[in-house]
Amino acid sequence: MTITRRVFVKSGGLALFSLGFDPLFLGRAAYSAIRPTVRPSDRPTLVCLFQRGAVDGLNMIVPHGEELYYRERPRIAVPRGQVVDLDGHFGLHPALAALKPLWDNKSLAAVHAVGSPDSTRSHFDAQDYMESGTPGLKATPDGWLNRYCRHDQEHADTPFRAVAFGPQLPRILAGSAPTLAIDDLQAFGLRVPQEAARDRLTRAFEALYQGATTGLLASSSQEGFDAVQQLKQANPTQYQPANGADYPRGRLGRGFLQIAQLIKADVGVQIAFLDGTGWDTHVNQGSSEGQLAARLKDLGDSLAAFATDLGEKMRDVVVLTMSEFGRTIHENGNIGTDHGHATAMFALGGPVNGGKVLGRWPGLDPANRFEGRDLAVTTDFRDLFGEILARHLGTRDLAAVFPGFAPDPARFPGAIKA
Amino acid sequence: MAVVALAGIVFLSASPTVRLSGQLSPRDSAVHALNRLAYGPRPGDVDRVARGGVMRWIDEQLAPERIDDPALATRERQFDLLNYSREDLARLYLDAQRARRERQQAQRADSMMSPPADQAEQTPEGLRARRLAGQLQELAVVRAAVGERQLQEVMVDFWTNHFNVFLGKGADRFLMPSYVQETIRPRVLGKFADLLIATARSPAMMFYLDNWESVTPGSRPPSPAFPLSAMRRGGQGVRFPRDPMRADSLRRRAEQRMPQGINENYARELMELHTLGVDGGYSQRDVIEVARIFTGWSIAPPPRGGGFEFHDWAHDRGAKTVLGVAFPAGHGEDEALRLLTLLASSPATMHHVSRRLCARFVADDPPDGCVDAAVAAWQRTGGDIREVLRAIFHSPDFWAAQNVRAKVKTPLEFVVSAVRAVRADPDTTARLAQVVARLGEPLYLHVAPDGYPERQEDWLNSGALLARMNAAVAIAAGRLPGAAVDLDSLVPATADRDALVAAVNEAILAGTMSEHTKTVIRDQLSDISDPRQARALAIGLALGGPDFQRQ
Repeated sequence: MTITRRVFVKSGGLALFSLGFDPLFLGRAAYSAIRPTVRPSDRPTLVCLFQRGAVDGLNMIVPHGEELYYRERPRIAVPRGQVVDLDGHFGLHPALAALKPLWDNKSLAAVHAVGSPDSTRSHFDAQDYMESGTPGLKATPDGWLNRYCRHDQEHADTPFRAVAFGPQLPRILAGSAPTLAIDDLQAFGLRVPQEAARDRLTRAFEALYQGATTGLLASSSQEGFDAVQQLKQANPTQYQPANGADYPRGRLGRGFLQIAQLIKADVGVQIAFLDGTGWDTHVNQGSSEGQLAARLKDLGDSLAAFATDLGEKMRDVVVLTMSEFGRTIHENGNIGTDHGHATAMFALGGPVNGGKVLGRWPGLDPANRFEGRDLAVTTDFRDLFGEILARHLGTRDLAAVFPGFAPDPARFPGAIKA
Repeated sequence: MAVVALAGIVFLSASPTVRLSGQLSPRDSAVHALNRLAYGPRPGDVDRVARGGVMRWIDEQLAPERIDDPALATRERQFDLLNYSREDLARLYLDAQRARRERQQAQRADSMMSPPADQAEQTPEGLRARRLAGQLQELAVVRAAVGERQLQEVMVDFWTNHFNVFLGKGADRFLMPSYVQETIRPRVLGKFADLLIATARSPAMMFYLDNWESVTPGSRPPSPAFPLSAMRRGGQGVRFPRDPMRADSLRRRAEQRMPQGINENYARELMELHTLGVDGGYSQRDVIEVARIFTGWSIAPPPRGGGFEFHDWAHDRGAKTVLGVAFPAGHGEDEALRLLTLLASSPATMHHVSRRLCARFVADDPPDGCVDAAVAAWQRTGGDIREVLRAIFHSPDFWAAQNVRAKVKTPLEFVVSAVRAVRADPDTTARLAQVVARLGEPLYLHVAPDGYPERQEDWLNSGALLARMNAAVAIAAGRLPGAAVDLDSLVPATADRDALVAAVNEAILAGTMSEHTKTVIRDQLSDISDPRQARALAIGLALGGPDFQRQ
């Protein structure tokens, strides 16, 4: 049927911002292969999760073998009997129990005492440094994941190469390489029901923005239109997680579900990013139950559901968690913890050298603490990130991604199988 | 220094029209001022401001107390939120907590299972609280959209972000209305020190950044009737059961939950965000000393109104040193006031806050010139925000061609400026605020203490732009949720494409539509014969296109 422009306008092409209106083409997403040149098996994927607010690494990966841990945290330590033991010294917080099978099958590793060489205890500076990849340097204009995309052009052929889930493009993906920010896959695109009308309006806006002189206005819109165009070619089917995977309700679970959806759609996702808040536990953080436990359960169950859902595809995927710094070893006056230094991070996926707590453990002895109070950093986060880029994504030029720092394979924590 | 001051005087006395000639036309200056000091022009505003003189309009906006606004006053009366005093809200908080507890207990008794948290919120009191929170957000949008004291509303937004509090954190849902209404609003153009002190003493800030529970180690409240920790459970105090065993274990638990030491959260953000800036020269040692100074700054239990309360027993009376300044032993509440005054007049603070103001009004990366002008005014006037702003608006950087239309609108600015451009009439439901939220800026809901960002790269991305286009298309179709739009009074429907594009340009973009936009819209209209549909398309593309994203 030929849809004239009149039909388009009349049919409400301009009028579908209605909130209850179920949009459209995208959410059902893109399940059939689109570009024969991009085969998923050729494309390792990295999923990064930023725990904003500084996660308490010591209650996430608990050093239950250390007496000092219990002495320093009389009200918030996780009791020994409740820790999910990993190696006799470290254990998972019980709310992360869903991750234990992944530990057992050696696809989950933790890196402890990892962090930034910069001493800042400012959330915002520390996040900025972890995302720019240049601790101590505020002037760096772009994020390290974007620099990676710029320097490794091999997979630059799809708008979905680097996707952030959220309303804002995070600093880590900011830069000149094309990236996408998608708040909700279900609502990505112009909300017009008839396809022809939608196309027409999309083209009109595209033409408008092509003339925009401002770089960001022009490039952001172009990236959006390209993605919309590509997803349009996909076969719209309702997405059902595989293998009985059960994602937690909430933003994190939903984010992981959508990433799984895009990965399975074979649209060429190489980098996916999402973040979550609620980790800044200054007050009443709880021990085996409570505030932090609830956040950790959301995290553990989301990661486990993601791994279940992807199944075989996890062989090409690495999920990396990160957080700007850790929290004080000593609990504060309000049954919480204040800003500290080193923290712990997870790496999950087929390529991961799992079943191990990696990194040199500095211990909690006051003599070995950073500034006398916090867990010391023994693994520079760039060594961990660099290892994943080099050994998982196959990056050859790490110096371009982390300027001023040459990640040294000798210092890699060993998160990826050799 | 003298030369700078002298130059300032000469500059201020120079006629703005003389200064602007050769750069911006009176109309262009009016558009610029309306974009920055206001939430964009309404139809007719540009001519009105240009006719009366843009500098005179700026002076008027800098004196909002002299602007009469009966229409807004009428509108505000529709928000019953404004009839609630802080004490009323404290009472509502208690009622909501009690209803929630009763619901939970009833459900536990019913099912032996703890109910989902969201179900426990579904009490009449809980829903009332939620509705009030929605009203608070909507009120901000309505004031920005229809208020005549535009600069004041812009500054309310600026300071609520500078002194950000997260509405979603526990009691802050009940503390936020008075924070906006009584702490921020009356002081947005006053002395910075007064605003800083008001935020420091506000229950909303103290709860958000945990200072209310920061106590000197080893301190104990004199009476066990209202231990601080009971506040989280509704301020009812702890009622110990008759069974002595249970009473003992409950007492132990209550003891355990008592604050036992300092909390650094507020102390750090006070220096990093509110005053000195992260490079303002303070150390971790200073953070701890500031936290000690603020021990005992707390909140009265809700039955006593939930206002500011200083707890002498919790205060650390020892000597402290902050940034090299000695705070001798033996002081109480007064030493924090001394500290706040000191921080408010520190050169680092002047620079940090002036720079943020310039980033808001001039450019994301503001030139040194306007920042220096702002700092000079700060020094001259002892931190009088009105005069700092006046200096910014008089600085050549504010009017420089490269800074005109150089900033991208935030979601709030985009929605409100669109509402103003099409003369939409917002209602009192929270729907318009929800549009702002969907575009990425749910009001009062930024979790971290840094507030919403000001830079364009934080707001511009593929998904956000598509969302703005969708909103634009909805507005043009008269389907903006929460606001009535009368397009007929704005742009008459016409079959003449050129006339339509010209009318849309005038109404929506105050005549600043780019040639490219004109061409694209004209092309798109070429085969639409229904004039009303053509108008909707033209307005939708104008609002959703690149020109309207800039200010």
